[in-house]
Amino acid sequence: MATVKNWQLGRDMAYPYDARYPTRQFAFVFNINRCIACQSCTMACKSTWTFNKGQEHMWWANVETKPYGGYPKWWDAKILEKLEDANPGGQVWGGKVGDGRVGPYGTFEGQTIFEAAQKTLSPDSARVLGYLPTDEEWNSPNIYEDNPAGKRGVRNKLDETGEQLPVHNTWFFYLARICNHCTYPACLAACPRKAIYKRPEDGIVLLDQSECRGYRKCVEACPYKKSMYRGNTRTSEKCIACFPRVEGTDPETGGEPMETRCMSACIGQIRMQGLVKIAEDGSWAEDRQHPLYFLVHVAKVALPLYPQFGTQPNGYYIPPRWVARPYLRQMFGPGVDRAIANYVNPSRELLGVLQLFRRSNRIIYRYEIQEGPKIYDGSLHGRKVELYNDTVIAFGKSGREIFRTTVEEPVHVRTNAHANSI
Amino acid sequence: MPYDEPEIDDPQELVGVALPGDESVTLEMAAAFADEFAQLGYTRPQILGLFRRAEYTGAHQAWTLLGEETIGRLVDESLAVWSHIEVRIIDGVDDGAQPLHLFRNATRS
Repeated sequence: MATVKNWQLGRDMAYPYDARYPTRQFAFVFNINRCIACQSCTMACKSTWTFNKGQEHMWWANVETKPYGGYPKWWDAKILEKLEDANPGGQVWGGKVGDGRVGPYGTFEGQTIFEAAQKTLSPDSARVLGYLPTDEEWNSPNIYEDNPAGKRGVRNKLDETGEQLPVHNTWFFYLARICNHCTYPACLAACPRKAIYKRPEDGIVLLDQSECRGYRKCVEACPYKKSMYRGNTRTSEKCIACFPRVEGTDPETGGEPMETRCMSACIGQIRMQGLVKIAEDGSWAEDRQHPLYFLVHVAKVALPLYPQFGTQPNGYYIPPRWVARPYLRQMFGPGVDRAIANYVNPSRELLGVLQLFRRSNRIIYRYEIQEGPKIYDGSLHGRKVELYNDTVIAFGKSGREIFRTTVEEPVHVRTNAHANSI
Repeated sequence: MPYDEPEIDDPQELVGVALPGDESVTLEMAAAFADEFAQLGYTRPQILGLFRRAEYTGAHQAWTLLGEETIGRLVDESLAVWSHIEVRIIDGVDDGAQPLHLFRNATRS
């Protein structure tokens, strides 16, 4: 295996191929504090890409209730357990949470899914530690999470009138997920046909249907289980990051890159997607006025999902502030405490950048804040709050202004020409 | 998901793990939803409506466990701060949507 740099882990790691980095990388931030599991994203994706025969079980975008559920069921618990079995007691982080662009969460001292495979799997062709979910695990996303459950003792039958709802007696939260378009994709590493590739222009990971023979190695390898097998075509399929929209070929935007369907459909405004600049070593190049760079590397409120898997995922989450910290540290790494502290006591700039979420379906490349007067000084739930009438301006790929937001003004009702902007 | 009462002597029985948490966690979750949706410009009836609706399980469960009065207080606290913000969005100058050209224009040769 080759040695590559993983900035999220703060160290080099083994990967089957030499490092190749795109000029820009598809990335996104989800603010879990806002998600109410309305499933608008899920249905937007489903109705666009996976509505055909043979795709019934496929949900490229899904929202699951943590820690009770998952799609496929127990996907994260299973791979975490496999890693623990491969390296008992050793899956820990060392070092300190810092400020650098490389290793901001300390150093991961355990084994990634690539490293664990080298030590535990045979033959050598088995490159990634993973597992194949069963049909039962795939077939019912969200079942028994928040949905009407069956009567006790009655198997495979839901409560038909829906009055028996599960009650979670303690904390839970909703985790929205799509393919992370990883920098070191496990699906790509595992494919014996080299049918999976990462686009040099935007880092989107695609699966070439003409090359795929349906070996399902990608399904087995992806730790996030976002590669899925389609029985009637005998090939695997995965999220394509709505690449025609990201390329700017949707006629609505006149060439400006457009966010994906799942992002645009989010009514809770939890999502922001962008294309971030990548440095030569695969880390994010400094781009101070990029909203995603600000959230991940400056405000440090957005964290990668299970960075310890080692794929350097490009999906980031603002963790839910009410959830037990040990669980969040396992899911998002040691940066959780700092992320929540910064989110709960937001800086003036962070409050401004949070205004950019879902104000447009165009991809934002740069933002500016024009400072205005203070309009409120008080406290909320015992915390000090200061609000300013700042104007936040978003710019697109061409450098043209996409929109601006100001506060203390009447709500702007969009004209008919923009009424259906998702 | 267990269907029957647990059989403790069955080695295949799912083992439950206790999750740390108490009423303060539910309170924090409800406060987070109230804060976030107040920031989005929702009004008091709209935010309370979210809590009351069983479809939104997270918010609704907090409403069930904490009661209308506590939830109303949290919403009022959030609105006391965030109702000072009413966001106005001004779209940049747009060239307008490009036609799809899916059909041949009859006037063209």
